[in-house]
Amino acid sequence: MARTEPRYRLGVDVGGTHTDLVLLDTETGTIAVEKIASTPANPADGVLCGIRRFLDGGVDPAAIGFFAHGTTITTNALLEMRGAKVGLMISAGYNAIQETQTQARDGNPFDYFYDKPAPIAPQSRTVEIPERVSYTGAVLTALDEDAVAAGAKMLDAAGVDAIAVNYLFSYMYPAHEGRTAEIIGDVAPRVHVSLSSDVLPRIREWPRLSTTLVNAYLAPVLTRYIADLARGLDSLGITTPQRFLMQSNGGVMPFAAAMDGKNTVHTLLSGPAAGARAAAWVASDGGARDLVTLDMGGTSADIAFIQGGVPLEVTEGTVARRQVDVPALDMTTISAGGGSMAKVEAGGFLTVGPESAGADPGPACYGQGGTAPTITDADLACGLLNPDYFLGGSQRLEPGAAERALETAIAQPLNLSVREAAAGIRRIVDERMADEVRVFAAKRGLEPRDFTLLPFGGAGAVHAAAVAGELGITRILVPPRPGAFSALGLLCADVVHDFIRSELKPMATLDPAHGEALFAELEDHARAELAAEGLGQAIATITRELDMRYAGQGYELRVSLQGLGALDPAVLGEARTRFHARHLEIHGHAAPEKEVEVVSYRVRAHVSVPKFEPRQRARPTGPTDAKAALKGRRMVWFDGLTGVEVPIYERDLLEVGATLAGPAIVEQMDATTVIPKGWGAVVDTYGNLILEAEGAAP
Amino acid sequence: MIDPVTVEIIRNKIAGLVDEMHYHFYRSGYSTIIRETRDFSCVILDASGRLITAPPMFFHGTVYRHFCGRVLEIYGAEHMAPGDVFVSNHPYEAGLPHVSDMGFVAPIFAAGRLIGFSGSIAHKADVGGAQPGSTSATATEIFQEGLLLPPVRIEAAGIANADLHRLIAANSRQPDLVAGDIAAQIAATRLGVSRTQALADRFGADRISGAFAAILDGAARDLGAAIGALPDGAHSARGFMDSDGVERDRPILMAVTVTVAGDRVAFDFTQSGAQAKGPINLRPSMVEACCFYSLIGCLGPDLHFNDGCRDQVDFIYAPDTITNARPPAPVSSYQMANLKLVDVILDALARFRPGRAIANSGSSGALGINWGAGARPGQASLQYEILGSAYGAGAGHDGASCTATHLSNLHVTPIEILESEFPCRVTKFSLIPDSGGAGTSRGGLAFRRGYELLADGTVMRRYDRAIFPPDGINGGAPGRASRFVIRAGTAAEEETPASGRFELKAGERFYLESAGGGGCGDPKLRPPELIARDIAEGYVTLEAAKRDYGYEG
Repeated sequence: MARTEPRYRLGVDVGGTHTDLVLLDTETGTIAVEKIASTPANPADGVLCGIRRFLDGGVDPAAIGFFAHGTTITTNALLEMRGAKVGLMISAGYNAIQETQTQARDGNPFDYFYDKPAPIAPQSRTVEIPERVSYTGAVLTALDEDAVAAGAKMLDAAGVDAIAVNYLFSYMYPAHEGRTAEIIGDVAPRVHVSLSSDVLPRIREWPRLSTTLVNAYLAPVLTRYIADLARGLDSLGITTPQRFLMQSNGGVMPFAAAMDGKNTVHTLLSGPAAGARAAAWVASDGGARDLVTLDMGGTSADIAFIQGGVPLEVTEGTVARRQVDVPALDMTTISAGGGSMAKVEAGGFLTVGPESAGADPGPACYGQGGTAPTITDADLACGLLNPDYFLGGSQRLEPGAAERALETAIAQPLNLSVREAAAGIRRIVDERMADEVRVFAAKRGLEPRDFTLLPFGGAGAVHAAAVAGELGITRILVPPRPGAFSALGLLCADVVHDFIRSELKPMATLDPAHGEALFAELEDHARAELAAEGLGQAIATITRELDMRYAGQGYELRVSLQGLGALDPAVLGEARTRFHARHLEIHGHAAPEKEVEVVSYRVRAHVSVPKFEPRQRARPTGPTDAKAALKGRRMVWFDGLTGVEVPIYERDLLEVGATLAGPAIVEQMDATTVIPKGWGAVVDTYGNLILEAEGAAP
Repeated sequence: MIDPVTVEIIRNKIAGLVDEMHYHFYRSGYSTIIRETRDFSCVILDASGRLITAPPMFFHGTVYRHFCGRVLEIYGAEHMAPGDVFVSNHPYEAGLPHVSDMGFVAPIFAAGRLIGFSGSIAHKADVGGAQPGSTSATATEIFQEGLLLPPVRIEAAGIANADLHRLIAANSRQPDLVAGDIAAQIAATRLGVSRTQALADRFGADRISGAFAAILDGAARDLGAAIGALPDGAHSARGFMDSDGVERDRPILMAVTVTVAGDRVAFDFTQSGAQAKGPINLRPSMVEACCFYSLIGCLGPDLHFNDGCRDQVDFIYAPDTITNARPPAPVSSYQMANLKLVDVILDALARFRPGRAIANSGSSGALGINWGAGARPGQASLQYEILGSAYGAGAGHDGASCTATHLSNLHVTPIEILESEFPCRVTKFSLIPDSGGAGTSRGGLAFRRGYELLADGTVMRRYDRAIFPPDGINGGAPGRASRFVIRAGTAAEEETPASGRFELKAGERFYLESAGGGGCGDPKLRPPELIARDIAEGYVTLEAAKRDYGYEG
């Protein structure tokens, strides 16, 4: 059989309501997009159904050389508590760790009828194993192997799908957990095992246990799904072994790694990570190195920062009230989506969210029975949305229904006109998004003014200019297809694996050779894992970091050792200098005279995969005229008081170099861009619509 | 009158900047208490010192009115300048919870006038006094609890008062930790000033003041409406603490009469016991925190607290009582007293709203170990933890187990952090079966935590509920009483009162048990399937199920 050229690359992003597919034709450099309803019961059905549309359109499945996938399968399983049946093995005498958790309550502190999240492994499926290790890794009590075997037998008989193992100080001495896994493997070979020393060999027993439990809970779900999907791809004739899954850290892992089950917890924030990854790729072309993203969808708005072309990261997070401390892109979510509902509270406060009308019944203007006014209703009442061209006309909007909802719920109680109420809702939500960006930036020592705002999702570009104005941001980049931007991110990601190991030591007493040995061990581990995934021959870039803190502090900062060689006293000195600088940058002060401790060692393995290379469109030789794209005019009430007649343009008809002056509105199938007075816009050679505030330095 | 859209925008902005203040402070604070337990708060106040939004550490929220009010009395707004910062830790003069809590307020100026204050309160590792860590369980005068700072100016127009900083450092056993925390706290307080000034630059000072007024009025209206929905009348309740830790044979009476009339409520504490010799006395600032917490929890947890809420509420105290002590009565174990008082107030409020009735909860306690010369090199010598307990049950709701309760919401210190930093081993951290009070709804379970000393040390425990365990309601049984056992497993094993100070040697062990939550309703009416689940989970033993619940399964 003749070898088929791998002409296409395919990215599929499954969201809550829609599955977005992006097919890149590497011969022409063009992108085809499909959007279909998600199939929550079995998400693979939607994925395969979407792919079939491309195949029906004449794409040869054998010519698809690359497949990358973003999925919320693990996130949803956690949110809806549809994970595996999990058993747990812990050090004997410590069964209060899982009950106590952090000891602090989440949620409303005044509600004394408090419930903790239901345990993933209840006490009835928890086995206490006699063993104990000290903080230096010395064995105080040897592992009771008979207890492990008996426990495994009991849990197996109880029908568990997975067993999580978390012993105290396992990050210092993983052998007890390793031996436990061997014994479980002998006794109950069908059961998945998640070891805390694999999943998160990091100090602090509860976050490590929580992360390990979540991994065990979701690993069987993910492996089953990936196996199904892989079979489905095979059955469509897609033969490429280049199949990848998006992770929370903005990198991808091969399907083989997902099947292994050790890294499942790294996929929890795979959905929003794809969008941030796409933004980082936009930033990598040099045009805008520093970006803040605003992904505004139906129920919420996600915000992420890209600094110097690199997305910011965090190492601690909470998903569905569960602590999950693995690296993830640093994002924040607020309840400011098109469906977020506005109301007047008893004290006379006008508030927006967190309740959302979702897709069903949806905003009042959907005419599906929703009566509460939402952000989409406010946008429509102000004239910013086209009732006949929302989601490409697939969702007709009813301005009368929006106005009735605004009138009853907001305008009458506050004695405002409907348009004032609508503009008020918009102001509140725009300010809140701006505040969220500002606080998020301030916590990380960043100045939003230095960033370009990149809106995507259906509503991002409707609100972007107002949010930018609040923040003093003078430049906005609206990508060509805001609705499919996340899916595009799947074609822009590399394989990234993170490894960590804690060992708390003052730098003063740290032997560089010992630290070097720890790093070497982590790097061997990284190479072994890549080899197991079939990437053994690939060229991997391996970078090192230290988690450091001042003695007595409780939170660590990640310090990159990029550009430094093997650990020696000079390298440690440089690491200390970088730590002080980082502390100063983040917290506004440093204490160079203070004792510094190393808490954890991190290694990141990075393997490049082929990425989407956008082709620049030629600037038309003749004069470009936006008039060709002008499709009408309508009244818009930006401030809720004064109506302005505004020109409406069709995005697809705007040529490279076309310029627009606000006020104007640009409509396209998947999004609307609002250009207020005081802003101008130009189409760049990549097809991005660049908005600039008047008077801003070029 | 200011429009509701602007009010909401400014309210969100204040919440955001307070969040930012908290973040910077806890990320850069040095001491264990700040970083692992987050025992601190940051706030914004109006020009008369009224709180605009409640901090997560709620019981600090009622302090600022007293603290900032006193600063205004002493210095006068007209003698304050931009860049000023005032400090106090004085429970009597400034309403601070105890001497270890250091508060800072800084005036915010815009358009040439005072528009508000930025403030913060945080626990300090050591401010002197008779015992390491300052919070002695056996103090009999406030002078034994540390250096007292009445409200004084610590930074004048941006210039630090170095004399005062040196004075504070000289009075601490942990001068570096305290200096580091003070620096972080002043930085966080200043951040609140600059962010609020930026808001005033944008919206105008008058609109900021107008929004503050509207936010305070709105909260008062909301609370008034919720109180108005209660039946008018008066109900009383009372309860006891074991002792004050000093006079160990004298239980401490806490009593309240709650009177609802229209949209107002009065809390009368005149029937509470005489002030105590030991450090469990309360200042009105703390009593108010207990009242507002209980009121909001009972009426509707979604109500917003700020100082506008004071417009709907009256407080009545008698002099020299446990709820209104006279100096120099010591106060350092205030939180135990708070948590008992909350049980009592909730009991009285439940008569107005039976659906929100909750059995007594297990409170929270502190454990300190002073390692002195035995501390690990480069590490602090004082180990300090706050340990929670369990919630009582309510109708249709089992109490939560192993948790901080009510006003306390601090994190437990990880075992792996403790053992890495201090010469101790945590030998046990386990659930106590049958510790939750039996009832149709069961009280939450308590935990046992055991320790072995790897060096000689002084162990300090402050806790309650050993003699008077958390009561049940409506026929529910009490939760299990707390215990504190030293030299465990040896011939010298001894069960001690819940509060005390003990010199132990390397190799000796002790353990503590927190109290379980009280049950709600007749245990015989608990559905058998829930009892069966509790047995399977090890929450209730089969024996206790038969004995307490009449379980036959």
